[in-house]
Amino acid sequence: MNSLIKCLIAVFLTGMTFTSYAQDLVHKIPSDALAVATFKGKNLTELMSLTEFNKSFTGKKILSKFSRKADKPYSSVDDLGFNLASSFYYYNQSNDSVTYNCFLSPVKNAAQVDALYTWGDYKFNQKGNIRSYYNSDSTEVAHWNNEMFLFVVAIEKKDYFSRPEVMERFGLTEDYPASEVVADTAIAVDASEDVPADSIAVESAVVESEDVVTDTALVDSTMVDDDSSNSFFKNQQQKKSIIAAWTQHMVDEFFAGTNKTSILNNNDFLKSQDAQAEATIWVSGIDKLFNSYMPAIPYLKGMSFFNGYGSGNAKFYLEDKSIRLTTSMTFSDEIAAVFKRVHQRKLNKRFLKYVNEDRMIGYMGYALDTKAYLEEYPKLMSKIYGSVYAEEIGMAADLLSLLLDEEAIGKVVKGDALFIFNGLMQNEVSYKSYEYNEDNFESKEVMKTKKETLPDFLLMISSEDTRLIDKLIAYGAKKDLVKKRAGYYELSIPKSPLSLYFTIKDQIIFFTTSITEIDDIAANSYVAKISGKHKKTLLSSNYSAYFSGKKLAGKIPSEEFGGAKKLEKANRVLNSLGDIYLNSNPIKGNVVSGQVSMDIPANQPNALKYLFSLIEDATK
Amino acid sequence: MPPKFKYPLSIFILLCFSSCFQIIEEINLTKAGSGTVNLTLNLSASKTKVASVMLMDSIQGYKVPSKQKIQKELDEVVAYLKKSPGISNVQKKVDFENYIVSVSFAFKDITNINNVNQDVLKKLKIKGASNSSYTYNPKIQAFRRSYQHTKDAVAQYNKLKPEVKKIFKDASYTSIYRFEQNIASSENTLAKISKSKKAVMLNTGVLGLINGKTDVSNNITLAK
Repeated sequence: MNSLIKCLIAVFLTGMTFTSYAQDLVHKIPSDALAVATFKGKNLTELMSLTEFNKSFTGKKILSKFSRKADKPYSSVDDLGFNLASSFYYYNQSNDSVTYNCFLSPVKNAAQVDALYTWGDYKFNQKGNIRSYYNSDSTEVAHWNNEMFLFVVAIEKKDYFSRPEVMERFGLTEDYPASEVVADTAIAVDASEDVPADSIAVESAVVESEDVVTDTALVDSTMVDDDSSNSFFKNQQQKKSIIAAWTQHMVDEFFAGTNKTSILNNNDFLKSQDAQAEATIWVSGIDKLFNSYMPAIPYLKGMSFFNGYGSGNAKFYLEDKSIRLTTSMTFSDEIAAVFKRVHQRKLNKRFLKYVNEDRMIGYMGYALDTKAYLEEYPKLMSKIYGSVYAEEIGMAADLLSLLLDEEAIGKVVKGDALFIFNGLMQNEVSYKSYEYNEDNFESKEVMKTKKETLPDFLLMISSEDTRLIDKLIAYGAKKDLVKKRAGYYELSIPKSPLSLYFTIKDQIIFFTTSITEIDDIAANSYVAKISGKHKKTLLSSNYSAYFSGKKLAGKIPSEEFGGAKKLEKANRVLNSLGDIYLNSNPIKGNVVSGQVSMDIPANQPNALKYLFSLIEDATK
Repeated sequence: MPPKFKYPLSIFILLCFSSCFQIIEEINLTKAGSGTVNLTLNLSASKTKVASVMLMDSIQGYKVPSKQKIQKELDEVVAYLKKSPGISNVQKKVDFENYIVSVSFAFKDITNINNVNQDVLKKLKIKGASNSSYTYNPKIQAFRRSYQHTKDAVAQYNKLKPEVKKIFKDASYTSIYRFEQNIASSENTLAKISKSKKAVMLNTGVLGLINGKTDVSNNITLAK
């Protein structure tokens, strides 16, 4: 089943066809979905035609995989039965007892979908125009008709099933009982009992869908061995049968269309959608989603790592000139206020006087307000641990404030820095080896040399108050770890081939591995060269990064790859990569956002075709 | 029988995080069958990497040994050797500047070193060489270096993380046997005979020993 699902997912992600008619299933997604991922087939088909896709390396792979078991080979992904020009969805629906991972796809030709199952040797049954497939324990269910295909993977919530009242209600016992416990395995529940609403609904489904239970080989409680040593397996079977019945009920409701509240009623979801994006992921609340995925760990009870985090989304764009991923997250007023304070610092403009983009391969810049960060940090911690360790956190916060002079630290390390990666360099290192004379193989110690590859970088850190650093330098000089040179210092690292130079100038602390660079900085002769694009990215963002694969290509010594062939492949991949940019946007309202993008080479018609060419290249 | 070592030498944790290393085994054998052994482990070619590893407390889940710990464990080796029957004049040399460790000792009879060698090699976790022994028959003037590859060596090697496996690629093993008499023949084609005809040297990669592709056993016949 896995391979079929993998192939179907591959089709989701590469979905494309000529036949296009409006068939958006988004309205079928329930309003209480915790997360929704959308893949827009229409946008993808506009970037690459079906004919082109079928002829591509990936297209051929998918078709050959499906053709293997079919009685006639597939010539087009269009024949798989899905409407690849419409949108495909994944959504997560959770309650206190179960998590459903749902894959929803538009169907164009149900008979063709039937054929996929038939040829894959996966048995399904049909009632009316609805086909159903179940895995061995019925916790994985696929239903489809002429309009849509829904595949659900249901996962139980362990902490729910370990509650005493739930265990009693469902006749569950301790997995590994200390003493012999006689368990009643009946699922039957008195409907008058005080139970959660979702459970009542499901229990009624157990009764209603009896025929399904028989069809799908659900575990009959009478089949379960009464031996208490088998408690674990008995419980597992019992839980799976309960989950299976709930899942069946959920899928039946989905196809019956009884659920009237659609995700389209959720404004936040609607706002997160962008017609131009090829794929989007929307999360209603990180906290809720995190709790639904994470198992209940007793140690973490009461802690809330994502307290104050609201909804979030990510959008993936394949454009003519670039591939772009944008992300954004909404925070509570309290957390947003922290971000605003901490993010008020901008990158030191003077850093730009020491950037030469002809030399650099990449950079990473960040700007935070150290003083604000130190002041806000205890508050953030109390948000996470507050409900459990409120008093302890309160005391720790007070102690931290007492010990630290946030303002003084904020002057020493203001909070902005820029790391510029200039490539790799090779330094010669000597080592001891042995030589043997021909006469009697008597050994003689000899010194040999070899080259070691080292990074070449420049790091700049803003500092208003350098007195502490001056003292550290004086101490280092006394201990012979720091040597004074003309306008800069050399840090000696024992046995290391890496030379590190540093100096303090213009309220900037410079660290570099290049003697030429530190000479130029010290002598005021540094020649800067920076484009408007980099200038804007660096100065307008709290976090920014850039990497050029092309500039690195050809600069990696072959020793690092263990052979010319591997190096050639690495260089080919690096050369085919466009420039990569990452940056955060200024906080807007309570929304923190950012993006990462990669330029695509000029000879590529669009980003999708470029991605396919990369896949093909990587397999060569 | 002297007590067996209980713990692996911590320096071999460093070996796992070097980029290449050399193992050198030298035996000088007299006509009567006594002689000296010198075992050397040379990590000098990876000294920058080893030096940076030694600055850390642990790496990839392995505890990085301190200089003191390495010294202490080597002292244990020396103490063990000193207690071993037929072994005398035990000496160790540790060069932390270049990360070279060597242990030398004298033996009364070549069989004395068989037990010791096995334990030391086990301790060095060089399991491929664990079925290794030496015999010398003064009557017929024949020296035999037996070596049988064990599958355990490959199994142990396969358990290593890929980044640790990499270091064995350039690691080398050198054995030198020197005699008082001239060498009449040496069977292993990988071994070279010196100009003086009194020494045999075999230099090979450690990986070949692990995977069983290299055989270092040799039958050396000495001139009567």
